[in-house]
Amino acid sequence: MTQQQTALEHLQVIRSLMEKAHIYRAISAPAALVGGVLATALSGWTIWATAVSESTRLSPELFLGLWIALLVLCSVINVILLSREASRRDQPLVSNDMKLALRTLSPALGAGGIMGICFAFYWGNQTLAALSWIICYALALLSTHSFSPRSIKRLGRAFLLLGLTLFVVWSANPSARVYPYEEAIAAVCMGLTFGLLHILYAVAVMIRKPQPPTSFE
Amino acid sequence: MIDFGQIDKVIHEKARLSIMTLLAGRGEWAFQDLKAELTMSDGNLITHLRTLGQAGYVKESRDESGTRPRTTYALTTKGRKAFQQYVDLLEAIVKAARPE
Repeated sequence: MTQQQTALEHLQVIRSLMEKAHIYRAISAPAALVGGVLATALSGWTIWATAVSESTRLSPELFLGLWIALLVLCSVINVILLSREASRRDQPLVSNDMKLALRTLSPALGAGGIMGICFAFYWGNQTLAALSWIICYALALLSTHSFSPRSIKRLGRAFLLLGLTLFVVWSANPSARVYPYEEAIAAVCMGLTFGLLHILYAVAVMIRKPQPPTSFE
Repeated sequence: MIDFGQIDKVIHEKARLSIMTLLAGRGEWAFQDLKAELTMSDGNLITHLRTLGQAGYVKESRDESGTRPRTTYALTTKGRKAFQQYVDLLEAIVKAARPE
């Protein structure tokens, strides 16, 4: 093999491994913490409002509106934090990494968003809306496996496992499906996943501090 | 004219080149992750990491805080520079071979 062929082959090895090694964290840990706490609070408030009286119950439209507002708020916080991180690294916010993340995340997020809105708005079924959001969010996170850190993959797997478990339990339980206070069941699903799992993810990422390096020499 | 003698012999070996590439692409790799990504045996990987460490290209960190000790590897400044020079040289070799 000539030097040129060897050089070309080695450059191909570098390129292919570089693509594999590339890492992009699309969800900032502090944003996940804020989102998790707010999602838990909103879920708790929904359950409380359902328990207090018939007049304080959330309508499907209000349920949908509040969760969309929370999504928008958390997305804005996430973008601000990602923008700070990008400027710290001297990189533009809308980098190639971010474009790749958005391209990868958007099909599953878009599908889940539309399905959830239809379930809540047209069917008046908040539980199905919540479950479709949870499962599609899990699939969106897992679709970034080629460039995500391990914590995001774990978060995706946890969302999928818990989302499917909740779906099976809800489907297999006829009394849950006809339960009159359906928004409470949906709130429990949302609180356990978007609330609790995001808090656990954020805490796990934040407490993992890098160790000081020691040289071989 | 390119001097082929300039090629860094430490990096110019496929296994070590792969290790250097992964470390250059992402800041830090755990031993187990490197092993899984490169499908290398423990002995083979540790030998190459030791060679790279002796050249001053790779540094090792040990985290004993968890239930199992975790060893991670990262490029040193010298290693990053050597890797960049190696890639530049490969590109120059390929470019020189192409007809104008």
